[in-house]
Amino acid sequence: MDPVTLAVVRGSLEQIADEMDLQLIHAAISPIISETNDCANGIFHPETGETIAQGRYGLPVFLAYMQFTVQYVIRLAREQGGFKPGDMWILNEPYIGGSHLQDVQLIAPVFVEGKLFAVLATTGHWMDIGGNVPGGWAPKATEIHQEGIVIPPVKLYEEGRLNEALVSMFKANVRLPKEIAGDLAAMSNVFSVGTRGIEALVKRYGREVLGQCLDEMIAYSERQMRSYIAEIPDGTYRWEDHIDNDGITDEPIPVRLAITVSGDQMHFDFTGTGASSRGPMNMSRNTTLSSCYVALKHIFPDVPVNGGTFRPISFTLPPRTVLSAEYPSPVGGYLEPLGRAIDLVFGALAQVIPDKAPAAFFGTIGVVTVSGTHPRTGNYFVGVFPYPGGYGGSRASDGLINGTPPQSMANFMSLEMSEHRFPLRFDHYAIREDSGGAGWHRGGCGTAYGFTTWGECIVSVLGDRVDHAPFGVVGGGDALANSVEFTTEGKTWTPEFRSKMEKQTMLPGDSIRACSPGGGGFGNPLERDLEALERDLNRGYISPATAEQRYGVVIGQQAPSIAGHTRYRLDRDASEARRRQLAGQAANA
Amino acid sequence: MTGIVGIDVGGTFTDLYFSGNAKRPHQVLKVPSTPQDPSVGLLDALQTAGLSPGELDAILHGTTIATNAVIERRGARCALVTTKGFRDVIELGRRDRPNMYGLEGTHEPLVPRDLRFEVDERLDYEGKVLRPLDEAGLREVGEALKALDVEAVVIAFLHAYANTAHEDRARDILAEINPDWELVTATSVVREYYEFERTSTAVVQGYLQPLVARYAKNLARQLNEWGFDREVAIMQSNGGVAPLRQLGQRSAYIVRSGPAAGVTAAARIAAEAGFSHIITADMGGTSFDVAVVIDGEPKVAEITNLDFRIPLRLPMIDVHTIGAGGGSIAHLDRGGMLQVGPRSAGAVPGPVAYRRGGTEPTVTDANVVLGRISPLSKMNGSPLGLDVEGAIAAVRGLGERLGLGMEQTAEAILAVVNQRMAGRIRLMSIERGLDPRDFAMVAFGGAGPLHGGALIREVGVSNMLVPLYPGVLCALGCAYADLRYDISQTVEKRLDQTDNQELADIFARQRQQARGQVDDSQVPVDTVTITHAADMAYAGQIHALRVQVEQGWSNERLEQAFVDTYRTQFGNTLQNIPVVLVNLRTVAVGTRSSVGLPQGNVAASTEAAKPVGRRPVYFGGWHDTPVYQRNDLLSGMRLDGPAIVEQSDTTTVVEPGMDLLVDPKGNLLVKVK
Repeated sequence: MDPVTLAVVRGSLEQIADEMDLQLIHAAISPIISETNDCANGIFHPETGETIAQGRYGLPVFLAYMQFTVQYVIRLAREQGGFKPGDMWILNEPYIGGSHLQDVQLIAPVFVEGKLFAVLATTGHWMDIGGNVPGGWAPKATEIHQEGIVIPPVKLYEEGRLNEALVSMFKANVRLPKEIAGDLAAMSNVFSVGTRGIEALVKRYGREVLGQCLDEMIAYSERQMRSYIAEIPDGTYRWEDHIDNDGITDEPIPVRLAITVSGDQMHFDFTGTGASSRGPMNMSRNTTLSSCYVALKHIFPDVPVNGGTFRPISFTLPPRTVLSAEYPSPVGGYLEPLGRAIDLVFGALAQVIPDKAPAAFFGTIGVVTVSGTHPRTGNYFVGVFPYPGGYGGSRASDGLINGTPPQSMANFMSLEMSEHRFPLRFDHYAIREDSGGAGWHRGGCGTAYGFTTWGECIVSVLGDRVDHAPFGVVGGGDALANSVEFTTEGKTWTPEFRSKMEKQTMLPGDSIRACSPGGGGFGNPLERDLEALERDLNRGYISPATAEQRYGVVIGQQAPSIAGHTRYRLDRDASEARRRQLAGQAANA
Repeated sequence: MTGIVGIDVGGTFTDLYFSGNAKRPHQVLKVPSTPQDPSVGLLDALQTAGLSPGELDAILHGTTIATNAVIERRGARCALVTTKGFRDVIELGRRDRPNMYGLEGTHEPLVPRDLRFEVDERLDYEGKVLRPLDEAGLREVGEALKALDVEAVVIAFLHAYANTAHEDRARDILAEINPDWELVTATSVVREYYEFERTSTAVVQGYLQPLVARYAKNLARQLNEWGFDREVAIMQSNGGVAPLRQLGQRSAYIVRSGPAAGVTAAARIAAEAGFSHIITADMGGTSFDVAVVIDGEPKVAEITNLDFRIPLRLPMIDVHTIGAGGGSIAHLDRGGMLQVGPRSAGAVPGPVAYRRGGTEPTVTDANVVLGRISPLSKMNGSPLGLDVEGAIAAVRGLGERLGLGMEQTAEAILAVVNQRMAGRIRLMSIERGLDPRDFAMVAFGGAGPLHGGALIREVGVSNMLVPLYPGVLCALGCAYADLRYDISQTVEKRLDQTDNQELADIFARQRQQARGQVDDSQVPVDTVTITHAADMAYAGQIHALRVQVEQGWSNERLEQAFVDTYRTQFGNTLQNIPVVLVNLRTVAVGTRSSVGLPQGNVAASTEAAKPVGRRPVYFGGWHDTPVYQRNDLLSGMRLDGPAIVEQSDTTTVVEPGMDLLVDPKGNLLVKVK
């Protein structure tokens, strides 16, 4: 294979996938697609269904996810006599695809000179998919049917003919039929962008050369991934964590991972992970696989996203666990186990490649949903505030403050904008002091925010990581755990299951205070730079007690507090002596 | 008649463009920049050009001091006073991370947490006072600040865009405590909602104000000493200029103004050449800047991130940058694939051919070994000229690892870097829902015209336009920019609930303010044009659409304008969903009395261009290629590729299968035959 053609073709195919992303983002009706890029587009191998290129505007959560669906649909199409030009398949079944019912996928073949040449796929998050709760998120669901309509893999278009009956079925079963029809049209149109791009490349390079490029691109990524894995010392690296509970039964659910590295291969074994929960804190096998790739991509950001990257990695994932849910388990709370799966990969690999793997991130999506009828406008409103939080420390840096979850890029809503839209007032939006795990590189602090309602609202919360805080690695400490408090009618209380509350009525003057976890610490806190610590103290990232107890320093001077600020000065010599002493004790113990 | 001069101070070079006057023709030159005191380089440029103060009406100037101060965190020690409970807004941002993949990296806010203070006060979203300003508490903060040795204090309260009374009062109180502080209220910089973006913008202003004000004072003094006492104006990132006397207050507006000047000039030159939709492609040593111009108007970004979590919510010409330039290094990644950039050899060690110690092959080296850049070029400033042998050895070394010959390797380097740049161009036009084939491309910067031909072929753009002075286009853009002031205010109300009188009042106030700023500038202008726009959205949407509107329009008229624009842009409308008026905007442009753009010479109709020589240039094989001097190419001349056109600041490559026409203004128009 001519390396130059390969480099240019690869760039062009990635470009086509990017253009598919932009086309969808531009044309979609649902703001969740057009404004938070909750979508994905890709080009896939016609035989193996492996990813060849994926658009770089979509969310990380969709990283490996479409490949599994494409592979499934290729098999299904073969059983039915093979793809025909003009076919387009649709599905949202999470046990085949992944994530949750709101993520609808379309799949279409590309034919060149009458022969199947590639497969295209697009995913978009629909604003509503029917089911119990508007928006599709049902915290008390115990089976998938309560979460919305299930679309099995079926042909939306058959040889160019639209199945109108199917569209009527969707429209009759969702709450926003017009918008959904618009999104469906926008998603279908994306394929013409992909097809046009591929046809232009075929014209330029010829069918045969381009076909070789597809194979070689996958082989190339595989080599690159293997070269990274080969640098990880052989061995088995284990990590264990827990989901607090499933929101139905108050029992912790274990999640376990053993990564075995041998040569240039990796094996992920989730044996020992707890059974599927009754509540929606589950995800399907493919979502788990995809989240492992998200974690690996955060550790090795240079690896291109295609099927070759996934080849050297194999999985053992026993059926019907929280990480391999099957019909009819609900999956609407999948983002919580997803966070845990990412942390498992970080925790396991930080033991052997601490240069690359960070400590745990804040680890909970902690969505606070506010709904009701606005007392001034009479309009029904829904506001969604997903948690920001701290990232884990890493070899490269302290953990970030107010990060977005690793599988997402979505932002927190502007406070002023929220106050225009919803009958509430923020009381504070602040760094949650002293909440990052201690370490040579400290975990990022969590975020504390609270609001008081001035009109009647219904508030729901779905979070986790109250009982099991984000962990530190290579000697770093754990972060502060999640905390949620309601104050209604003058009384302050913690919700059921500590972080999960469905449909609490809040009257004017009631309030909620949410404190998201920080990130775990990285490395031994006794080795943290003293100047950095003095800065941490003066900026209030850590408390004097933490500085003394966890970081082993001695505070020399303390200026009186002015306007809420206290100035600290560390006693360098005393601090160093005390740290030596503490290190000696630790060594003896 | 006297002339005007445009000077763009960049990181490496200070570029000068002189418009010419009765006594002498227009002129361009470059001198080295003087980063310790940029005004030294500026005066050096004026003196090198042999200009005397008396022959100049105006000095228009672009500078990177503001950009660099933010990126390198060299601004003022600055404090921030916020509403109680919200001092961290500036550090928290809106939940994000520096890169999509990789969880590393932190954020260093311009005002650290120990210099951020809170006072008790609270407004609601309509600007009604929920809690009065705690003046005693504020005085206590003010006293504390005195001990902290700060130069500037920014005051940013929640919802102050709806009612500036608390911010204004707080400013007055702090001014009493220490009149030496530079005090900035957030709403005086940008009167729009979104607390993080507004506060960040105000903090950028406060952080830069002392530094920029000192720079302005120093520059004014030096120019005075030189004998110049007429107009001095500075380029802003919105594409207009502001006078030196207002510079301190406009500090946040001059960030990234150099690229904006280049786009402004390109738009103007293209418009005179008959192109209204253009893509500007500015390729220098380390980066490739690309912008889109529709109907002669550069696309403006509402928010620009100066660095991670440092947004600037001011209208700025939307210039995208990727790390692809002449110095971009070609290498093999661990999968064995050829990559070019984003790592750059920079000016030092630079490309191998520059004889400054570079050892890795760069894009410039590829151009040198293929004969596209003259081996006799003095672009490296060395009396020995370029080190062609060194470049060949470096490219050959890379080729051996790829299993390719030297020429094929060099072509591969160009193919890869061109593909990256072409991809960025395509995405910029597609992001706007436009077909790249409807555009012409203006290529400038030292390397733009070298690569522009390949780019128009790759993207499918019709024409490449190479202006007369592609190497100093930003300086030229400064010289021809008009005065410009942008004013905005958030309304955030459903249109059917807004009162026409309220709209009229806001526009009247904005007109008065805009007009006042033009008058205060003391810059002589021919005309002042005031235009209005409204940002509107369907209720529930996050992104608003900006629509040009006129004073006196009713809310029904505004809604119709929104619906029409929405349909054009998205192909549909969302009936039954009410429309929200988000912001009202006013722009005042004072057209400066200026001379016309520089023009080339016209050829007699039958005259053919004469090459100054020939040399072998590689285009898939070695071609004996004619080489022309730009000065010899007169309007009306036409020539076929392959051809090379050389001028002091760049080289234009006309590939085989392309032709070149010199237009009536002296621009080179290259297109695929």
